[in-house]
Amino acid sequence: MEHHLPKKGIFNASVLQNKNLGDKFYRITLELEKNGKSVFSSAVPGQFVEIDVSRLALPAENLIPPQYSDAAKRNIILRRPFSFADIVCSEDSVIVEILYTVLGPATMRMKTLKSGDTISLIGPLGNGFSISENKKTAILVAGGMGAPPLVHLSGLMKSQCKDMEIIVFVGAKSISELAFFDLKIDKLIKTKVKLGEFEKHNIKTHISTDDGSAGLKGFVTDMLKNWLIQNKPDAKDTVIYACGPEAMLRASAAVSTEFKIRCQVSLERRMACGTGLCQSCAVKCLNKEDGSNFYKLCCKDGPVFWSDEVVWE
Amino acid sequence: MGIEHKNIDLSVKLGSTSLKNPLMTASGTCGYVDELDDFIDINKLGGYITKSITIKPRLGNDVPRIVETDSGMLNAIGLANIGVEKFIKEKVPLMGRYKTPFFVNIAGQIIDDYVAVADKLAQFKQITGLELNISCPNVKQGGITFGTDPALVKQITCEVKKVIRDKILIVKLTPNVTNISTIAKVAVDCGADALSLINTFTAMVIDIESRKPVLANRTGGLSGPAIKPIAVYLVNKVYNEVAKPAGIPLIGGGGIRTASDAIEFIIAGATAVTIGTASFANPDCSVKIAEGMKNYCARHKLSSITELIGSLK
Repeated sequence: MEHHLPKKGIFNASVLQNKNLGDKFYRITLELEKNGKSVFSSAVPGQFVEIDVSRLALPAENLIPPQYSDAAKRNIILRRPFSFADIVCSEDSVIVEILYTVLGPATMRMKTLKSGDTISLIGPLGNGFSISENKKTAILVAGGMGAPPLVHLSGLMKSQCKDMEIIVFVGAKSISELAFFDLKIDKLIKTKVKLGEFEKHNIKTHISTDDGSAGLKGFVTDMLKNWLIQNKPDAKDTVIYACGPEAMLRASAAVSTEFKIRCQVSLERRMACGTGLCQSCAVKCLNKEDGSNFYKLCCKDGPVFWSDEVVWE
Repeated sequence: MGIEHKNIDLSVKLGSTSLKNPLMTASGTCGYVDELDDFIDINKLGGYITKSITIKPRLGNDVPRIVETDSGMLNAIGLANIGVEKFIKEKVPLMGRYKTPFFVNIAGQIIDDYVAVADKLAQFKQITGLELNISCPNVKQGGITFGTDPALVKQITCEVKKVIRDKILIVKLTPNVTNISTIAKVAVDCGADALSLINTFTAMVIDIESRKPVLANRTGGLSGPAIKPIAVYLVNKVYNEVAKPAGIPLIGGGGIRTASDAIEFIIAGATAVTIGTASFANPDCSVKIAEGMKNYCARHKLSSITELIGSLK
């Protein structure tokens, strides 16, 4: 009898590396073997995992930045969702890379993980980006911590869709919030910042920051709009993939409508489970037939949605 | 040494039915029927309590619907569900795949709603019983307003009892009352076959930067390990004051994560236990708890878990 493998599950992963990157980012590399390997080898960009860090201890008091000291004291019970920055499959294992920032009691614990530790993952969860292979141009728009799944997506597209032109726009509040940016590696000539993660795939990256500390000053979606006006790509042959804060996604959806270019957005919601049990991560959607609104679940129906099915508020 | 696992009987009686072990899913934390399939063998559960079903579909509350608290979480989902018609068409047939008895949790805004839903569901042989949700703190009409008023508890329990034929009737109690035993007694007098307790505590989390409640609904129901000692106390109180004298079984729950937690509830007087919030972080935890219960029985030389019910010294 053929053994039926589930699409998702609870697996243990070993930590290979948990490295501080730049000012506030950490990159954790996790290895899955056996069943976990089989299930995760088919994971796609935009999907996510729920990581259990509730059993980890906090760092020593003096290692907790004062602005986080109140939040860090909270005892956590729920897992935390993270999208993939990359997935590398080999014969014996699957290696999952996740980029995160330390901003609360869970990630404060997560940064104490070291090589050789074991953690529990649930995944891969949700629906990722769907790659439209017949398009000529793919435009990736990343805001802040929205960059990791788009790095993953760009790597995959580069290998799968050789003839497709990939253009990347990355925005952040300031240079210190630019995901993957590492002063030690990436060159900083103010207007010509390079992000190694995209550059390694030979993808042209346009960078903007709200305060002008790196790249162009302004919003990433304005940069996108200007590029579209100047380059006039054929709307039918172009697709936009966006991930970032809700306001940035709303603006991307508006650009998509204005230029009649279809756009997939990866949304974020508070979620307790990630598996469709708790019903907390509701996303208001439009019923195109009768114009009424209804809710989909970010974890199960998303996190990637077509921008025109979401009701932007 | 103790007793061998194969000689330990975890089965318990719930009204006219028998559960193979005391483990049940708590309503609203496990979906409709098959959502846990990727993680556990549902046949290993003692019983399955579905999420709340109402006469008409409900969209649920705006987001945020959840927030994590110290060792707990608040939810204000707002009884989002597909409505009884769709539930009968799409979900009830799935129940036939499993041997586990299914109990459908029902809710409504007025008493007639409860009666209508109960009447429709009572026709299906796949359904073993109904659980009356008169304790949801997150809806404007119905829910907790029924469960805090003895006269309404009487009316709703009696009316539903008339239409459910041979189905087991469970009444789920709220802890948000001055004396939970008063409500418990009314439900038992009106024909409840079992009582489940407790639903969540009405609670609030404030964002101190914006000075607004975090939840869109402003308040939510507190669940998780934070409420466990209160739940154990209330189960013991209702057991001594109502359930034991009347010979009615209790389904205890509130913050159970481990076999030790579950055993506390059984010693306090629960015949069965529900796993709720813990399933969000570990969807397989109910099945693991059943195994852990066997270890406890072996160690304490109990050949049947029933010897433990209400054994508090």
